[in-house]
Amino acid sequence: MKLKYLPVYTADFEGQIEFYTQKLGFRVTGKMTFYEGRESTVIQSDKLNVALLVTNNDSSSDKSNIIINTTDCLKEYHLLRTAGVFFCKSPAYLPAGLAAEFLDPAGNKFMLLEERNYNEQ
Amino acid sequence: MDYSKVLRNNNKIVSRTGGQRQGPQYTSDLSLRFVLSGNERYDIGRRHLSIYPDSFLILNRGTQYSTDTDLDQQVQSFAINFDQQFLQDFKDCWTFDDDNLLNKGYGNSKAQPEFNETIYPFAGDIKYNVFHLKQHLDNGMQDEMLINEYLHHTLINYFHIYNDEICKKVEKLDFLNQGTRVEILRRLNLAKEYLYSNYNQNISLEDLAEHACLSVNHLLRTFKQAFGLTPHQFLIQLRLKRSLMLLKDTRYPVNEVVGMVGFECPSSFIRLFRTHYKITPLKYRQSA
Repeated sequence: MKLKYLPVYTADFEGQIEFYTQKLGFRVTGKMTFYEGRESTVIQSDKLNVALLVTNNDSSSDKSNIIINTTDCLKEYHLLRTAGVFFCKSPAYLPAGLAAEFLDPAGNKFMLLEERNYNEQ
Repeated sequence: MDYSKVLRNNNKIVSRTGGQRQGPQYTSDLSLRFVLSGNERYDIGRRHLSIYPDSFLILNRGTQYSTDTDLDQQVQSFAINFDQQFLQDFKDCWTFDDDNLLNKGYGNSKAQPEFNETIYPFAGDIKYNVFHLKQHLDNGMQDEMLINEYLHHTLINYFHIYNDEICKKVEKLDFLNQGTRVEILRRLNLAKEYLYSNYNQNISLEDLAEHACLSVNHLLRTFKQAFGLTPHQFLIQLRLKRSLMLLKDTRYPVNEVVGMVGFECPSSFIRLFRTHYKITPLKYRQSA
């Protein structure tokens, strides 16, 4: 078994795909039908090594929480902000490391996390 | 890699490789001094401080100092000088809320912050951020907004360290008067930096107390209150920590490392090392 897709739901399908492809660097790799009468679009990011399954759903209140690992949170935060991504939480220090958070147009939350080892000898 | 980069807002970053003596000079701004390999000596008035990769030094604006390194050592130093206005803006952001900042309600806080000019531990977030910044600059990164983001976070990290190393330790001292507590901690920091700089020498309690301008009894009692360890325990931990660096980064035989960090007897070093780190020095070197 392996983790394959992370589902995200949106009422603004076009805006959502545009956000993922133009600001986060995803590319559309195909379409799949998981639920009767509703088509989902598969988008993939080689850089993030993840595939998202974007589904149009006007009534859904499901929101995803996705944690993206980075080796340099400040650099990625700066690059994404420069690309026009709005961060709801600036980089802040957690027990796990340095993290910043942004929302996609549908309100799914992405955490950019640079894990840090604070017990290093 | 050697460079000196002055940003448009007058923050300045200097990276230097190789040993050299620099005569008396004054700091023009608050300066954070790091040594990423080897060690660098700073003479500030009558104080002689040695900075190693596990510590960094703060110099306030206007401090006179000179530096020196051993000629045979490969020393990599890195310094960040914060422009006064950048520092003031940072301080205002921390002190005032958004409304006050928008209404310019912070206009009266023009006094420049003075920090306790001593040695601080270089570990955790500040180390990660400084290493990221240096790596980008070494690779020729020119984006000043990103550089300033790192500098902003380096200040955040430094304020946290200052809070832990100064403010919280002042509160631990068992004196009623706040002024007395601050003064005692200032003197204890003289003792601490003496240990940091002379850890591989034979240090007597009398020498240490004299350096800190405290009596031996006073030093023993207050040092333990502030740092949670006796000066002897503090010194042993420091020697063990520095032995880790030598074991990891050099090929000196363990027996030589023992003497280099100030231990006299290899067997007691190995016993203390194993008790502290749950591994023998040789196995640590093999796994590092």
